[in-house]
Amino acid sequence: MTIALVLAALGASGVGAYQLAPQPAPTSAHWRELAWPFPRDGWPAGRAFRCEGGACDGAELHVRAKRGFCNCDSGVADDDEVDRVADIDLITPRFAATAPGEVVHVGEMHGRARRYDLALYDGASHAAVGVAVSRRCDLLVAAAQGRGDANAMQLAALAFLETQEMKAWLTAALDGK
Amino acid sequence: MFRCVLTAAALVLFAGSAFVHAQKQTIGAPPEASNMKLVGTNDLQARSAYQPTIHHQGDRWIAYIGHHGGTDDVPAPVNPMTGQAEPNGTSIVDVTDPAHPKYLRHLPGQEGKYESGGAQMVRVCDGKALPKGDPNAVYMLRTFGSEAHEIWNVADPANPTLITRIGGLKDTHKSWWECDTGIAYLVSGAPDWRTRRMTQIYDLSDPAHPQKIRDFGLPGQEPGSTGAVPTELHGPISTGPNGNRVYFGYGTNKGGILQIVDREKLLNGPKEPTPDNLRLPEISRMPMSAFNGAHTTFPMLDMPVAEFAEDKDGKTRDIVMIVDEAILNECGEARQMVWLADVTTETRPMMISSYTVPEASGQFCQRGGRFGSHSSNESMAPIYYKKLAFIAFFNAGVRALDIRDPYHPKEVGYFIPAITQATDKRCIPVEGGERCKVAIQTNNVETDERGYIYIVDRANTGLHILELTGPARAVAGLPKN
Repeated sequence: MTIALVLAALGASGVGAYQLAPQPAPTSAHWRELAWPFPRDGWPAGRAFRCEGGACDGAELHVRAKRGFCNCDSGVADDDEVDRVADIDLITPRFAATAPGEVVHVGEMHGRARRYDLALYDGASHAAVGVAVSRRCDLLVAAAQGRGDANAMQLAALAFLETQEMKAWLTAALDGK
Repeated sequence: MFRCVLTAAALVLFAGSAFVHAQKQTIGAPPEASNMKLVGTNDLQARSAYQPTIHHQGDRWIAYIGHHGGTDDVPAPVNPMTGQAEPNGTSIVDVTDPAHPKYLRHLPGQEGKYESGGAQMVRVCDGKALPKGDPNAVYMLRTFGSEAHEIWNVADPANPTLITRIGGLKDTHKSWWECDTGIAYLVSGAPDWRTRRMTQIYDLSDPAHPQKIRDFGLPGQEPGSTGAVPTELHGPISTGPNGNRVYFGYGTNKGGILQIVDREKLLNGPKEPTPDNLRLPEISRMPMSAFNGAHTTFPMLDMPVAEFAEDKDGKTRDIVMIVDEAILNECGEARQMVWLADVTTETRPMMISSYTVPEASGQFCQRGGRFGSHSSNESMAPIYYKKLAFIAFFNAGVRALDIRDPYHPKEVGYFIPAITQATDKRCIPVEGGERCKVAIQTNNVETDERGYIYIVDRANTGLHILELTGPARAVAGLPKN
């Protein structure tokens, strides 16, 4: 099961598959960029993607840098921090965590990821994953949501964030460019 | 024609040199000032400073100054009085003679760097003012890093003794203590709350025996709640039992909220932190732009407004001055500034005016470090209250505002201290590394009943004691100096 999920996750990113998987994943996934769908708030807009194919098919991923985070030394230390900063509230203010989160890494950044159930306006049940990792006094956050399996979505999202294209963009965004 | 070209070239050169001068502070250059002048300084052992509180203690004036944690380069500066490396804590300085401040004691704080250590906040109450205090004691309430609040007896300010500690917290910040009742609104991170900072209300009328009254915050922050988590608390200011209001500021540089709370209902209403119980004492809430926070919410109630003097209604207004906190160096965010809200109709608070230092007046976005507001003085002593407000503006120093007409605040003075060898650098990320500049970072400001203005520096430059000069003195009704 775990191996299958990892394979699916690696396949979720075209770039990730090119770099990390010597053989094609069972079903390939591609993250297609969308327009940032949320109204302007205190942070500059980020980038939005929809997963096409693979285990994350149909999931949407929203990623952005949040520069100026007071916990410069302690970083993202607990699940409450993920609840607060990971942008799940942009999708809906009504969400509930399904389990304790876990430590994750994106490149050299450390933080936490947590899974949620969302209560959407159409009454449909969606799963979501919030990711928050920090670099000194800045944050990278990602919120993924879809009808599929949250675990697969998380793995796919993290694999996508590890691609060279996304790492280059994240570095620039965290540098304020 | 040739003369015109030469003149133009000279003007360009002059403008260029002025521009360079304005951009960069240099060691040895004089302070920049208008209608404010330097009276005295203390280097505060080159510790990054946050909140100063000035207390009239017998026949002395004592400054208690909270510090952030140490820096990457110097996590625990050496205290020259002990010869020991000590984590930043609280500086205690005798400012009876403001021209010659005398450093009395450094009380170490929590180990840690920047906001993760130190002892940022400090308030002081006389034992004889507190209902159950020792009349011979003077009590200093301070934070101990992120993990505790402490009360010390500072009757002998050079030899404080620890009285009480309230620990087990995940964060702390700028608390408020009513000296006449002992009620304290402690900005805490209770471990089971979903926010880093909320309010723990204590009866500290007997500082040796703190009595917890309740926890308070915005619905959605309480334990067990789900969904979006509202902006975290920065600090409250209470008007005590007479005013019966507490003004809470949430947010620092984003998503600010001014919350007006009925103090009586807050203290005596149902205390279980349910959403309904948390809503009960709230009179109103004014969300600000997502671009701005509410670092300090300073009430100035029943202010006569000259422009409205002939009006049949609304001659006086209840005003709350809201100051945001700039976070990012070199203008990396939306401008953080000063806002004045008319809260006369409490359920319909409205922003009526704003103030910022004009960036172009000093090319402050180029100078290095933070540019924007951080905090105001919080003294309600008559000498300046409802007349002048002093705003810490990081690399633009301190600004004196004439707020007698709160609909039209006007700058009447400023002071930007000179940098010293102790002034720490401030960096921003650039391609493959960092680029650093050194600039003053006036962090906090307080005034005393004598009219002295105390500013402290986040970048380790120390304490500067100032006084008004020229027309700014007239605003406060002070005699010419």
